Amino acid sequence: MKEGYNMVKKKVSEDTTGNQKKVKRPAKEKPKHPFWVIVNKEVSDHVRSWRFIILVALIALTCLGSMYTALNNMGDALKSSKTGELFFFLKLFTVSDNTLPPFFVFISFLGPLLGISLGFDTINSEQNRGTLSRVMAQPIYRDYILNAKFTASMIVISVLFFALGFLVMGLGLIAVGIPPTAEEFLRVIFFIVLSIFYVALWLNLSILFSVRIRQAATSALAGISVWLFFSIFFNMIVDLIAKGLAPSSFAPEYVIVKFQKMILNLMRISPAQLYSEATTTLLMPSVRSTGPLTMEQVAGAIPSPLPLGQSLLVVWPQVTGLIAVTILLFALAYVAFMRKEIRSS
Amino acid sequence: MTVRKEWLILLLSVTLGITPSSRRVVSANNDVTLYTAYTKIAVPPGESIDYSVDLINKSEKIQTIDLDVSGIPYKWDHSLKSGGWVINELSVLPGEKKSFTLRVEIPFKVNRGNYNFKIVAADTISLPLTVRVTEKGSYETAFSADQPNMKGNSNSTFNYRAKLNNRTAEKQLYAITAEYPRGWNVSFKVSGKQVTSVELEPNSSKDVYIEIKPPSQVDAGTYEIPVHATSKSTSADIKLEAVISGTFDVDLTTPTGLLSTKITAGDEKVIELLVKNTGTSPLNDVKLTASKPANWNVEFDTTKIDVIQPRERATVMATLKADKKAIPGDYVVGFNAQTPEASSKASFRVSVRTSMLWGWIGVGVIAVALGSVFILFRKYGRR
Repeated sequence: MKEGYNMVKKKVSEDTTGNQKKVKRPAKEKPKHPFWVIVNKEVSDHVRSWRFIILVALIALTCLGSMYTALNNMGDALKSSKTGELFFFLKLFTVSDNTLPPFFVFISFLGPLLGISLGFDTINSEQNRGTLSRVMAQPIYRDYILNAKFTASMIVISVLFFALGFLVMGLGLIAVGIPPTAEEFLRVIFFIVLSIFYVALWLNLSILFSVRIRQAATSALAGISVWLFFSIFFNMIVDLIAKGLAPSSFAPEYVIVKFQKMILNLMRISPAQLYSEATTTLLMPSVRSTGPLTMEQVAGAIPSPLPLGQSLLVVWPQVTGLIAVTILLFALAYVAFMRKEIRSS
Repeated sequence: MTVRKEWLILLLSVTLGITPSSRRVVSANNDVTLYTAYTKIAVPPGESIDYSVDLINKSEKIQTIDLDVSGIPYKWDHSLKSGGWVINELSVLPGEKKSFTLRVEIPFKVNRGNYNFKIVAADTISLPLTVRVTEKGSYETAFSADQPNMKGNSNSTFNYRAKLNNRTAEKQLYAITAEYPRGWNVSFKVSGKQVTSVELEPNSSKDVYIEIKPPSQVDAGTYEIPVHATSKSTSADIKLEAVISGTFDVDLTTPTGLLSTKITAGDEKVIELLVKNTGTSPLNDVKLTASKPANWNVEFDTTKIDVIQPRERATVMATLKADKKAIPGDYVVGFNAQTPEASSKASFRVSVRTSMLWGWIGVGVIAVALGSVFILFRKYGRR
């Protein structure tokens, strides 16, 4: 990192002062904006770091594994559902035989880990090594550092997820031989974008921790504990509450529906729940509602897939919530960073 | 006619000098008698009668008797036969009798009534015979159907049996034609084969089967179909009647035939429905009903159509209101047009979409969040 910023420093100085080098460049090329210089540097740091390589390998392996099971079970899945034939390609992302979870469950599980690992030492490690104040000595705005680091991580995540998504689609195309329809393709794109936002949420959370917590290890632990809390303990707590409040099994339908809606709303505090509801609805067009339904609402309904727009509208609250929390966390990290005393002690 | 015949005999006697009186001596006695059992016969025109007549000799010697028929109408063919020969004279042994036959063929063209003639033996003995012709005969073709009137609906086939009878003296080739309205189908069959003409020997008949198929969209009512049998010299007609009883059929659809629509939850949608009378009778009191999901509402501008004439249609506007809480996706809404006689159902596939309102609110929330980040940039960015 230290060397990296020396290079940045060099480059910046070259850009501002080095007239000799400018001559060598084509006349029209402008010097790179310092913001993008930092972004470039951060991206290359991420890509070369061992923890990123390990995580990518882990995610890629699990994704390939889940795709393998999906392909193995494609035949059974098609036989069992008739509406599934319409969205054959999406099955690649959702079918499983319970030995390995499907693609989107893996993403919901490993995505947060990726986000946390990319962000937990964003600021504090720089500060601890004293490079932060050196960078700040350059003629750049202070928030460039945080924004550039966030942007770099986002670029890495986006490229990774699009690559994974297209990898699955491409391999699926080779294995299955049926091209996706335009709607299926769009659904997968929306799924990938949603996944990126979901990882961005955890990224922003860990950036916030890295700003607030001095020690990188503590910051990482804080992030991981939040992740563990939401992925393991939160469900247990909700179950406990549900058991305590559960109405009698002889209660009228509306009471039960009301209770289930309440439990579901409690579950939705967890971003993982929001993400899984949103992705399920996007990848399974036959899902018409995320909440419990009364018999009254189902009467007269034909089990048919929803158009993409309607699927999006069904999960729009979840999507809005995820994006809003992501932005909120970024805003918090931003404020914390801008108010921070950055001189190393 | 009898007068004429007698005149003829008189003329012959005068001109040729043949006097039948030469044998009158023999026959003058009362030893010879003519006998037949059936002296008065009733027959229809066109029949032939074979009289079996006995000539009885009661004398002691052989009698040779001159035989003749007198008073028979001019156009009636007759002949006297015995032992396979045409005869004019017959000899009978003493105390015995000899049979001969008189064949009289009654023509078709004859008036109703009694006709008297006699067999004359040896000019003095006569056997009067009477033929009663039971009906007025005709010298023409007879064409008749045993049941010229039939009733059925527009899908049934009418099968008539007609009898064509050639009562002329010549062989005739009849062309059989029918006059029927456009769209009908009439065919003629003789002994199982479809034909357009029939050949008939004199005084013979054939059954002609007439098969009539009305068009399926024919109006209720009585249809007369004349059938002609025409040869070059004669013709005959029958009038067949097909009484079509009406069918009741109703069809409920839309002007475009499209049976699906889109609706936003909580909104109203006007659907144009067509009620078609596809039967052949007027439909009275067509009631419109709808089957719909819970909390949905369907209103018709008219719930009852008083009358729809055959092949006419009526337009009904149905206002469909989806439940406010309807989840997105497809629903079935059934529309029914009912009369006591017929009914039709149109199932609509209604795609429910949710209102965009919450979508825009979500967009607003994100915009506010982004705006606040922008404000933070401005405030803390230290530009």
